[in-house]
Amino acid sequence: MSDRPETSFFSPRRAGIIALSTVTQLVRMKVFYFLAPIALLFVGLQFFDAFWYEGPEASQPQQELMMHKNLCLGTMMLFSSLFAIVSTALLIPGDIEDRTLYTILCKPVPRLDYLVGKLLGVISVIFVAMLVMDILMVVTLNYRTQVVSAELGEYLGAIGWGEEEVRQGQAEVASHGPSLILQYGVLAHFFKASIIAAVALLISTFSTSTLFTIASSVMIWIIGAVQSLAREGLFTKGEYGVEPGMVDRILGTIISLVFPDFQLFESVSDGAARVMEIGMFDMLHLGGLTFFYIAIYTVLSWFVFSDKEF
Amino acid sequence: MGRYAGLIMSEVPAVQVNRLVKDFRGPFRGGGIRAVDEVSLSIAPGEVYGLIGPNGSGKSTTMKAVLGLVKPTAGSCAIFGRDSSKVDSRMEVGFLPENPYFYKHLSAAETVSFYGKLCGMRGAALKARVDEMLELVGLEEARHRRLRGFSKGMLQRIGLAQALVQDPRLVVLDEPTAGVDPMGSRQIRDLILDLKGRGITVFLCSHLLEQVQEICDRVGIIHRGKMVNEGDLEDLTSIHDRTEIILQDAPPELLEQIRNLVDQANKGELVSEGHPRSSLESLFLKETIEAESKQKAVSTKQS
Repeated sequence: MSDRPETSFFSPRRAGIIALSTVTQLVRMKVFYFLAPIALLFVGLQFFDAFWYEGPEASQPQQELMMHKNLCLGTMMLFSSLFAIVSTALLIPGDIEDRTLYTILCKPVPRLDYLVGKLLGVISVIFVAMLVMDILMVVTLNYRTQVVSAELGEYLGAIGWGEEEVRQGQAEVASHGPSLILQYGVLAHFFKASIIAAVALLISTFSTSTLFTIASSVMIWIIGAVQSLAREGLFTKGEYGVEPGMVDRILGTIISLVFPDFQLFESVSDGAARVMEIGMFDMLHLGGLTFFYIAIYTVLSWFVFSDKEF
Repeated sequence: MGRYAGLIMSEVPAVQVNRLVKDFRGPFRGGGIRAVDEVSLSIAPGEVYGLIGPNGSGKSTTMKAVLGLVKPTAGSCAIFGRDSSKVDSRMEVGFLPENPYFYKHLSAAETVSFYGKLCGMRGAALKARVDEMLELVGLEEARHRRLRGFSKGMLQRIGLAQALVQDPRLVVLDEPTAGVDPMGSRQIRDLILDLKGRGITVFLCSHLLEQVQEICDRVGIIHRGKMVNEGDLEDLTSIHDRTEIILQDAPPELLEQIRNLVDQANKGELVSEGHPRSSLESLFLKETIEAESKQKAVSTKQS
């Protein structure tokens, strides 16, 4: 027998090496070029007013800033979710088709290390991309906030409002500018994209094609977004007081167990755009939920992948 | 010394395949196929073993079972005494798949380094090993080039470098010279002979029987999933009732005397005589190497 040491069940270092290689691969695939049109969009938003925006004389001038935030957060959500699906769906089947996986798994690399490494690589790239988009959003929003605030100050001064009242109005506008709560909204989208990447990872372990992985992941993404509405319909009494049947209940339970519920993440993001009260505890809860989903999907992926033959 | 220091290393076979069976299920019940049928083989440490057979005979499946890439339906495989389905056994193995593809976004040095890191290597030791491997396969000059622009022969050589990076005691090669030109093929063959010289066990599959004959100590012939013949190459290929005498600069009179002697002896028979032929591969290599050296000499003179 050999005198070499035994390989551990899971090695964070090895997973890290695979994650770093995945990051390098995605970076050299020039995925960050996608950020250029997004940057243009964010900057371009400065030159357009919302069609309902009535100028500083409007009763709620901060609506202009809400439009900016909603558009930025929506773009970030769309980009990060699609990126999570496509990149994860391309990486593992690509390694199998190219037989790169053979050479990796023929080294002392447990399959869990490989899966976790790939997932961490994708999540790291999403994190960097979102960080760049977040910085862009904060910079452009800050500029827009100053413009709206200055316009409001001028207008209120012209119609004879006192200095204190003007300051209050401007403070109200400033509260809709960059803030910690807005960062919570970005974080919620990052969490959501990470879960979607884990879902795509699971599908790619048993899928036979990239197209199937992408289509199935998109479907789960959509189901995840609307499942709370469906469950509401199935679990609660209907309009005419009809109790949901056993089949409805079972179906609802299965859906809630199998598919992630993205409504919570959307609520946090919406709340962040509207500057609603979001506490640290809410974010910890969301982070815990994200970890739970990712852990479940990764373990399932491992079960499927550990028996896979190449 | 490690925990297995008490064991005598040479007693443990490098590869032990014991009555291996591999069935692949079909899409319908009963539609499956048996790719490998009760194959057994044993490769001693330091040996070069060639598994040959037609396409679809079960060579690659046997190899994949040894590497833990497929699960045996029955039987077992072990590498230096360790169950090959366990990850630990792979520390001792370097594998070069047929027509290998690696991450095209990495350079030659990054590729070897990546596989070295996966084996737990790091720091100055890893850097030195990467340099050594690139030198061994003759790719030092291409170390910073990305694999995207590599030829098949270069990819094969980088594949060999990654297979050897952790200094394995067993190297598994699946069609190592597939699609490589004769010059590259010769280089790979020389590398295999070099590995043999270092005491590394080599387990290879190849369609190029001439090459297998040149480098292997033992061969196994597999057909329709069954091992039909196995043994020392010398024993399997020599024709025991014939004798070959090769003479250098023999005059016609001497040849005539030999013919007469055979006739007079009334025992044995002269089956054929003539000039031994060099292989087409040797001729090709001789011509291309000569042409290359002439060109080099001309360009040196001109400069």
